[in-house]
Amino acid sequence: MMNKLHWKKILVMFFLMFFATLIVIFLRESDITQIPQSPQYREKGPDSAKIKVIEFSDFGCPACAMANKYLNEILNVYKNNIQISFKYFPLTNIHPNSFSAAMYAECAGKQEKFWEFGNVLFENQEKWLQSQESEKIFMNYAMQLKLDIQSMEKCVKDKEIEKIIKLDMSYGDLKKVDATPTFFVNNKRAVGAMQVIESIKKAIAINNI
Amino acid sequence: MKKAEIVSLISRILVGGVFIYAGFLKISAPVEEFAYAIESYKIFSYKISLLSAYFMPWFELYLGVFILTGVYIRFFSIISIMTFLAFEFFLIQAIIRKLPITNCGCFGSSHSNSIYTEFSLNFIWIILSFISLLYGKFLSIDLWLERKVVNEK
Repeated sequence: MMNKLHWKKILVMFFLMFFATLIVIFLRESDITQIPQSPQYREKGPDSAKIKVIEFSDFGCPACAMANKYLNEILNVYKNNIQISFKYFPLTNIHPNSFSAAMYAECAGKQEKFWEFGNVLFENQEKWLQSQESEKIFMNYAMQLKLDIQSMEKCVKDKEIEKIIKLDMSYGDLKKVDATPTFFVNNKRAVGAMQVIESIKKAIAINNI
Repeated sequence: MKKAEIVSLISRILVGGVFIYAGFLKISAPVEEFAYAIESYKIFSYKISLLSAYFMPWFELYLGVFILTGVYIRFFSIISIMTFLAFEFFLIQAIIRKLPITNCGCFGSSHSNSIYTEFSLNFIWIILSFISLLYGKFLSIDLWLERKVVNEK
């Protein structure tokens, strides 16, 4: 009798494991994962904004530079109603310098100059994208923006900063980001500058802004 | 229905629920997030932390399901107690070594408590696991199957 009972319990355990796995995988795949908020220095616009945009971007991608320009223009008009939250998604296989660009930007962020540094990176993309001396170029940008160079040098070697960028990339992978720039406008996906502008326009209309 | 049976059922729901919740939140987030949390306790290397981060959330999820439904309830209650004691060890060594951990990583990055809060909470989970160990058979798969086998005989 004991033997039969054990086998039944083990069978039930397998059923439970199977269904639990199935439910969890289904929930995971059904896009319920919430992307955590970026640190404040990587956010633009008020927390009360009705339109929340999460941007997965690569400083080395030309489409991201273009989207950045358009977004800045939109933000100038709707600055009280849109909040942009920046996430790193450097496509390192095609833009090998992008990861270190992200590191420098994050370190600039620690000195409250993330957006300024990001804009410089986007505007001067061709200068550093293929350069063998990209690190020197980034440091020059840091000097131009009057950042604390000693802290910057220490910061860009910090493994914790690398983790921050890799974690953003992992969230991008989890949300199935496979092209940059990819945006989530109030949780709705938009890929590229044109789609995000359309999505923002729709959100503006829906929210009667 | 005895008082102890109701208390044990509530204990099973709470302990099982907390394991399922913790496991699910970690499975829903990138594995690196939990790996970084484990690494911050400075016991394991990144490789072992990453391996644990793959394995641990599923372990918590299944353990929670088994406790909640009451299958091999005594055995899994003991496993639950041992798991919480292991968590307590991780937390206390972090407190003693004054590691700069602001977020315990127990429920993913956005839902976690401080290590001090989690250290206190784990005592409650250990007590509830003990109650499940002693009286956990009420409304359980264990009891249902045992009765079924007896009836078949």
